[in-house]
Amino acid sequence: MMNKEQTLAAEQRRKTILSAVLAVICVIYVLPVVAVVINSFKQNTFVKTETFALPTEQSYAGFDNFITGMTFGNYPFASSVLYSTVITILSTALILIFCSMAAWYIARVSSKFCKIIYYLCVFSMVVPFQMVMFTLSKTADALKLNTPWTIPIVYLGFGAGLAIFMFVGFVKSIPLEIEEAAAIDGCGPVRTFFSVVLPMLKPTLISVGILEIMWVWNDYLLPVLVLDINQYRTIPIHIQYLKGSYGTVDLGATMALILLSIIPVIAFYLAAQKHIIKGVAAGAVKG
Amino acid sequence: MAEVSLKHIRKVYPNTEKKRTIRGGSEKQHNLLVTDEGVLAVQDFNLEIADREFVVLVGPSGCGKSTTLRMVAGLEDISGGELRIGGKLMNDVAPKDRDIAMVFQSYALYPHMTVRDNLAFPLKLRKLPQDEIDAKVNEAAEILGITEYLDRKPKALSGGQRQRVAIGRAIVREPKVLLMDEPLSNLDAKLRNQMRAEIIKLRQRIDTTFIYVTHDQTEAMTLGDRIVIMKDGVVQQVGTPQEVFDHPANLFVSGFIGVPQMNYFDAELVRTDDEYEVRVGGIAVVPNAEKQARLLSHDVQSQPIMLGIRPEHVSLLGETGQTLHGTVEVSEMMGSSVHLHLVSLGQDVIVIVQTTDIMGARKEGFSIAQDVAFTFGGDLIHMFSKADERNLEY
Repeated sequence: MMNKEQTLAAEQRRKTILSAVLAVICVIYVLPVVAVVINSFKQNTFVKTETFALPTEQSYAGFDNFITGMTFGNYPFASSVLYSTVITILSTALILIFCSMAAWYIARVSSKFCKIIYYLCVFSMVVPFQMVMFTLSKTADALKLNTPWTIPIVYLGFGAGLAIFMFVGFVKSIPLEIEEAAAIDGCGPVRTFFSVVLPMLKPTLISVGILEIMWVWNDYLLPVLVLDINQYRTIPIHIQYLKGSYGTVDLGATMALILLSIIPVIAFYLAAQKHIIKGVAAGAVKG
Repeated sequence: MAEVSLKHIRKVYPNTEKKRTIRGGSEKQHNLLVTDEGVLAVQDFNLEIADREFVVLVGPSGCGKSTTLRMVAGLEDISGGELRIGGKLMNDVAPKDRDIAMVFQSYALYPHMTVRDNLAFPLKLRKLPQDEIDAKVNEAAEILGITEYLDRKPKALSGGQRQRVAIGRAIVREPKVLLMDEPLSNLDAKLRNQMRAEIIKLRQRIDTTFIYVTHDQTEAMTLGDRIVIMKDGVVQQVGTPQEVFDHPANLFVSGFIGVPQMNYFDAELVRTDDEYEVRVGGIAVVPNAEKQARLLSHDVQSQPIMLGIRPEHVSLLGETGQTLHGTVEVSEMMGSSVHLHLVSLGQDVIVIVQTTDIMGARKEGFSIAQDVAFTFGGDLIHMFSKADERNLEY
């Protein structure tokens, strides 16, 4: 009896410590976001001096920062939002469609060619962007991939590694019998993919989609290098332009725009969260 | 509704791909023939299946029965031979154009579709009008008793219900040939018996040719018009359940068909002029006239043989002087009968003893290590060559 109580007490202690540690980690993660939210409502001069203080009557700026941020300079913020949206949606759509198809082929056809492609994709995740960025921007220029409508092709190339890696893993867990049943029921390969395989890939489509959206939406370096900055600015580039010519930065406005730019991603994540269900294929085979 | 003809069908897996492509999991002890080409999973398979016939392919795992079925379905390439369905050569026809349907062991339902959509899917692909689809789906659902689950997803169904849906998806488009690959293996024993009876009923309701694969000899015996027994990619015997039970072509078939397994004794076949007798453990059993004639027609000479006798054909009421003796090792009470496991002449022998005779009188029990005498007649013995395990009568 004694022993049991002791182990229970020990268990309790362990849980308390764990909770405390996790709470600290939570705070560390949330703090920057909270700081952004707080500071976006403060006047610029107070951002540096009272970074973590809540806005007071004195420092509260209302929506001034948002207005300043959106109207700063001579480049319309709405265009930035538009370009960011176009690039993000096109890139993610391309990545999801092409990578899921490629992954299905790689997972189902066992040939040397597929293995090589697969390992190339895995390897591409290891190569840092900085290593290839200059040759890439030259190539992108030459191939006219330097507009918001064509840069998604560049993103497709960079996003393919992770996406194919994730899709292949999931496709391999789908029982082959389901596709064989589809073949017997009258599906050709294209129909099998779109009517049977793709719907089963839904959880992976959403997870990969979230990862790619966050990455493309927040990416700074690739658009800066590839796009003509005077003509096309994405939101991260726009934020960077809030920096004045003598090193002065309107921190309040910066915070406000950062807050605006993370809202869509968070909203999408929350909306899609419930669709990320593991084991959608459960129930199809065996019991 | 179509006859299926398989002529010299064979399947070769190139050696390098052997591990990856041979399906079925735990196929460890197969003795498949390996040639320069690769592993011969199915050798020279010949079978003419009549319209509306129910043929069962049966054998231990790794014998090539599933591979044969998958070749008929078009899921495996045919390495050699001719496959005809309804008279048309089907070797290189895509599965969807063969007008077949298949039920998989793992059900293989589409998890993202409701039961109704699962059933309707093959019809939609054939671009049938919606009202016709609805009518057919409802009819199939009614036959299988799944009408109330039509709007559920497969994961909300039990194993038996899922298997019904899988069968429903196969019968809904009235295929020429219905293929079933161990459809009952994932169900528990009780449900399996129930579904087996339903398949028999289903068979009477729909006009189609069935090819059914199983490793379970009971399923094979109860379902099949004809049984094809396979081992290591080679067909051992084709025949009606009664034929393969009464006249097994070789030692393997005799052991595979029938529960409990047939008893075997080392024996000697002695030919004196044109008379045969079997000497085993000091007694002589004379085969009946029919067997004598068959042995004679093959001009079988005296030789050591394996003598086979089914447990239900062994009698404990031996005539004096013509009995063998054994010691009881295990006595299994089965209710209406007792399965006695004896050791006799160094062999395990199983004898089935009815616990009550026809008048209702109970027989006494058997105790362990008890000595019992048993015998068998010459009508129901099976004689197998020791050299090639063939049944000497055929």
